[in-house]
Amino acid sequence: MAEIGLLAAETADREELGLLLGELGHLAHGATRLDEALETVRERKPRAFLVVDGGGLDAELLSRELLRAFPLLPVVAALKTRDAARAVALMRAGAAEVVAPPWTREDLKACVSKTLRWRGTALSPVRAAPRRRAGLWFALAAGVFLAAALGVASHRRAQRARAQAAALPDRWYLPVDHPAGLAFDGRHLWVVDWFSQSLYEQSSGDQQVLAVRHLTAETPVAAAFATDAVWTVSADGTIVRRMRDERLTPLQRYPKAAPDCAGLAFDGLYLWTLDGHAKVLTKRLLDAALTPVAAYRVKGLKPTALLWDGQALWTLDAGDRVLRRLDLDDPALVLQVVSLPEYGDGRYAPTGLSWDGRNFWTVAERRDGQGPALLIRHPAVPR
Amino acid sequence: MTRAPRLIPVLLAFPAAAARQDAWGRLTVLTSGGAELSTAARLAAGERVLLSFELGGDRFEGLRARVSRAEDDADGHRLAELSFEDPVQRRALARVLTDLLASGLP
Repeated sequence: MAEIGLLAAETADREELGLLLGELGHLAHGATRLDEALETVRERKPRAFLVVDGGGLDAELLSRELLRAFPLLPVVAALKTRDAARAVALMRAGAAEVVAPPWTREDLKACVSKTLRWRGTALSPVRAAPRRRAGLWFALAAGVFLAAALGVASHRRAQRARAQAAALPDRWYLPVDHPAGLAFDGRHLWVVDWFSQSLYEQSSGDQQVLAVRHLTAETPVAAAFATDAVWTVSADGTIVRRMRDERLTPLQRYPKAAPDCAGLAFDGLYLWTLDGHAKVLTKRLLDAALTPVAAYRVKGLKPTALLWDGQALWTLDAGDRVLRRLDLDDPALVLQVVSLPEYGDGRYAPTGLSWDGRNFWTVAERRDGQGPALLIRHPAVPR
Repeated sequence: MTRAPRLIPVLLAFPAAAARQDAWGRLTVLTSGGAELSTAARLAAGERVLLSFELGGDRFEGLRARVSRAEDDADGHRLAELSFEDPVQRRALARVLTDLLASGLP
């Protein structure tokens, strides 16, 4: 609240402006003549003076007189008749602001508020840099803040992911003793156990076995998941295409299509089978007979598993204890060899290989057959 | 930037096509290229306005300006950023401003 002097010749003007100032939270001290106004300033020391122009008073003259006596007193002129030239003249005479008729609370509030804290014009002979755009800067600052926050959040998420990955066990024992293959369905690993004639759905995040599929009439040795089907191969070389349902319902059988098959892979177009004894990789059409279209000799001592990781074919060699990346156009060519030091002690023989999108996984059988199988994650394998 | 002891009053006129009454305001910033204006008139960006004011004894009449930006200030007045369009008027204003500031008596 501020005390404001009010100089108006007519009572109605004083009442109207006094009420408006009161509504704005100011205390008005009325005066009808210049001498009363000067007395008011001396006694009340108002923050500003509101002078009505018209009705027998000349605000220009009154402003000059008031400012002559009190140079630091802000004066607001209120016009009774709208006249821009007169307004400018009043301002040149010293009025800080001029209120146009009709007098409204909003106009008066703006003028008084501005008058109470007015300063002079900033002058420069050269054009100043564009005024700061508060909104733009705010948006920019908010954008930078958000980006930083996202960066921090992303960094923390990555840290959490690394911590979780580090916290994950790299290996654990399985409730089976004789794994023959390993596959990944997009979410979970599947361990193929020939002895129990079953496929075990295994969580890759912990050691849980999620489900077991028992294949009563077969002895599965390898499996591969495609988009709409599951391929399995039995010890006698029979390949079965199955539905991806709860029971892995058989859709089509290919009796003894791939004898001595140790590994199976589907690259989206061809089905690949690996003959572990002959060390031959066969590329097959998806026709009624899974017709072989090409066969390749694979290198290694004892290839025991085959994998398509979305980009390349890999073989797992239990003899050399290595992974081999093969050239898809000519799988006889080896593009990369990755050793598996996890099997360096020779106690376990790797039998299955899979890729979950981030890590290679292998499953291994004890060489002496006296103990549970082992599942190993290989996060350090470069691709 | 040097600051004058008080705000320069300015008369605002509008092109005839705008059919607007004359208005008034205060220049809070004045340079040779443009100005910042505080006024109760509802100016809008893109609008053209003619400024008349007195500076250091020189009178500027009908200085052609374009409102490059306008927004309400905290008091409810319009704070407008103006660009002077006439190069001749700009040069004249620059000369007066230079003299005024060189004299040290704004």
